[in-house]
Amino acid sequence: MQRSRFIIGALAGLTVAANADDLFGAALAQPALPGLPGGANDRVLIVVNLQGGNDGLNTVVPHGMPAYYKYRPTLGIAPNDVLRIDATIGLNPALASLKGMFDRGQVAIVQGAGYPDPDHSHFRSTEIWQTAEPEHYGGTGWVGRFLDESDLPATNLFNAVALAPVLPEVMIGRRIDVPAIGALHAYGLSSDGDAGERATFTSLVRDDRVPFSSPYLATVATIEDHAQRGSEELPKLVAGYAPSGAYPATGLGRSLALAAQIVGSRLGTRVVYVQHGSFDTHAAQKPTQDRLLRELGDALKAFYDDLAAHGNDKRVLTMTFSEFGRRLAENGSRGTDHGEAAPMFLIGGGLKGGVYGSHPSLDRLDNGDATFTVDFRNVYATVIEKWFGRPVTGVIAGSFPAMPVILG
Amino acid sequence: MTDVNQSPSSPPSFRPAGRLPAEPLAAYTGAWDVRRAAHLLRRAGFGGSPAEVARAAAAGMDRSVDALVQFPATDSLPSGPELVADADALSMLPALRARLTDAGDPGNAALLTMRRERNRLRREQDRANVTWWLGRMLATPAPLQEKVTLYLHGHFATADNQKNVYGLDIVEQNQLLRRYALGNWRELTHAIARDRAMLKWLDNARNVKAHPNENFARELMELFTLGIGNYTETDVRESARAFTGYTFAPRTGQFYFNAARHDDGPKTFLGHTGDLDGDDVIDVIFAQPAAPKYFARRLLEFFVYSDPEPELVDALAALIRKNDFNMAPVFSTLLRSNVLFSDRAYRALVKSPIEFVIGSYKLFGVPDVTPDVIPVLGRMGQIPFHPPSVKGWDGGAQWLNTQTVLARENFASSLMTAGMQSKSFLGGGPPANARDASLLLTGTILQGDASAASLQNLEAYLDGHGTSANGTLSGENYEERIRGAAYLAMAMPAYQLG
Repeated sequence: MQRSRFIIGALAGLTVAANADDLFGAALAQPALPGLPGGANDRVLIVVNLQGGNDGLNTVVPHGMPAYYKYRPTLGIAPNDVLRIDATIGLNPALASLKGMFDRGQVAIVQGAGYPDPDHSHFRSTEIWQTAEPEHYGGTGWVGRFLDESDLPATNLFNAVALAPVLPEVMIGRRIDVPAIGALHAYGLSSDGDAGERATFTSLVRDDRVPFSSPYLATVATIEDHAQRGSEELPKLVAGYAPSGAYPATGLGRSLALAAQIVGSRLGTRVVYVQHGSFDTHAAQKPTQDRLLRELGDALKAFYDDLAAHGNDKRVLTMTFSEFGRRLAENGSRGTDHGEAAPMFLIGGGLKGGVYGSHPSLDRLDNGDATFTVDFRNVYATVIEKWFGRPVTGVIAGSFPAMPVILG
Repeated sequence: MTDVNQSPSSPPSFRPAGRLPAEPLAAYTGAWDVRRAAHLLRRAGFGGSPAEVARAAAAGMDRSVDALVQFPATDSLPSGPELVADADALSMLPALRARLTDAGDPGNAALLTMRRERNRLRREQDRANVTWWLGRMLATPAPLQEKVTLYLHGHFATADNQKNVYGLDIVEQNQLLRRYALGNWRELTHAIARDRAMLKWLDNARNVKAHPNENFARELMELFTLGIGNYTETDVRESARAFTGYTFAPRTGQFYFNAARHDDGPKTFLGHTGDLDGDDVIDVIFAQPAAPKYFARRLLEFFVYSDPEPELVDALAALIRKNDFNMAPVFSTLLRSNVLFSDRAYRALVKSPIEFVIGSYKLFGVPDVTPDVIPVLGRMGQIPFHPPSVKGWDGGAQWLNTQTVLARENFASSLMTAGMQSKSFLGGGPPANARDASLLLTGTILQGDASAASLQNLEAYLDGHGTSANGTLSGENYEERIRGAAYLAMAMPAYQLG
């Protein structure tokens, strides 16, 4: 059997590979974790989608690389302003809250995440990150497949929750239906009709024996049924949770506050999806990206403070991703165009903080773009195997060994 | 066929079961009734009032489609929204610049106050813009024109109050889309490349020779004309160079070709080499076989059913090509076609939130649109002028999740509680009994598309389940029960389908 390897870069058709141990310098062997479904200490994953393609080079700033300043005459962050991690990289000053968490060992930075033959379309590349299937489109998301494979009871309406106005592709599976919830106060039937109306409603919304056939009929009837039952249950189920501390009054702050409430109410929820953006900064990047990064760091800090106050911080892992990074050279509009590799953050009380992988070269570029050094599927495999203690079979195709980020 | 033979890893298809008719675009000659009339009015517009449906059912297919395609002038409607402030107040540029020069301090409190006031005015104008358009959809005598305008808004999706698109930028783009709704869509694309809202939204106003900005050039091919797989990254970069210098004059807001910022060097784009400009690029694109196919697929997904068969796409693409992208004859054919009136297309689409809301307003005779409905539409997942991205709205199954379905039900509930006059859709006098009332309600709201069991349930509800003395609908709870039953009919799965 071929030895598992990391693909660490696809440059001009040349694939460079290295052994995972060489790359991360630590043993991969981990004690087995209890598989899903678990007990009261169920582990949870929060997936944060940084929509629009976050500029990774102004997030984890390569201040030690001269090419960065050469190609970023106006957008480059001055060495003195960078929140230094080491002689090569540091964080954007807007990420001060996250830097504090990094210094406390709660943040792992995975540098240069990407995939081979990167697509520069927002929509296709988002699809690739959400499905983990760069070669073909199979219609399910990687979290959806993970839930399907995990023996979770389909009767639980909250195995996973998407805090989003539209169900993201990452949550689409075949067996487990994931609710999309914009805000708790809007998640409920406002009808104050009498008992007769409620009972009639329950039977009518499931009516699929109609005198026409529609390809959407079964889907509509199922969602109406779940919506009605879920909306009656969820507010009651989470009502007992009192958040600790104040969250920023931002969309992400509100989403993470609700995520903490769901996690703290122990509904058997294993994955929560939240989104933040738009990072599509083709023009006048700095004010937009700085604001979004500040909102990201501040909301994550409030989230983990709240989780810690309830003793939940060690059972919640947060992972960020974005469909692509942005081109090294800034454009003429003080913005950046679509690029390739970018860093991911893993955050939580249960991991080994630090910097993982190597920063993409800024001298050897793929048509002006920094190329990936770690395949994002290695990170997903890490979450599945090391965090959830489940095999990747049926979830991630191909050989993508886990990284030693997670504490056993 | 649906996915019987698909491997487990294929994406779910919402293509209707059954087979494509032999001549899908030939004129339909089958039966014509209330159900098909309502279907036509849903697809070619925003649904009909009970009276409109009855008229179309009586007129027959050809006369109904003629009336939609040869639409009356819409000059009697407001051509634009109410202006909340003049252009200077919305931009505040002169004032802000003066402040910057005076104080030189971007953190200056006076400056921040001015910015806040400006942003408040812009939000207010945006609300006026959205309300204006929704009002047109409700009141227009030319529903097809308005429906195709909504299609084009999703196709060339641009958002108000983002990327410095503000004031009347989006309204002017909307008027452009309406002008070309049944016009020539190649010419429309040339005009879109010069449209101020688009120049801002996809950054082409800043696309200059020294630093090309690829945003517009990429989406032009990926989302507006060809689709992924029909061009290369090199084509993106070369066409971005061709569009350098396409910008607008800040003072007038008019399109302006800045020759000094245009890259007039040779470019190679989709096999054509020369000093191409943006308009050359658009003409090259429209000569590609992929272009009419791309439009055909998107049109079928919006107007007919999801995941249309390749043969159907090819047939419509050939029609578009034959008419050289003049869309009036294309719509005239599609709206009379076998495929549109086949059972397979009937209720084979999910109503968009806009269709759901405007259709309900028409059904119940709501006279006009107020801004209160904007956040309601937001919870359902669609506010006009606010597409989630340049890709527009995916539609189909994407309209449906627990959140958006609850929002639809809550909208129906509030519509029935807030001042709906049951007389307007019950026709003459009150129905004699619960059975008649349930038939009347499901007939008007669902064209009878309810199961026998549901009819019985509604009847039992109207009867009061023993809370009223007998089955006669009279007395104090008459109005309340009719409204309750109408709400229940709107919550049924069939009412979510278009």
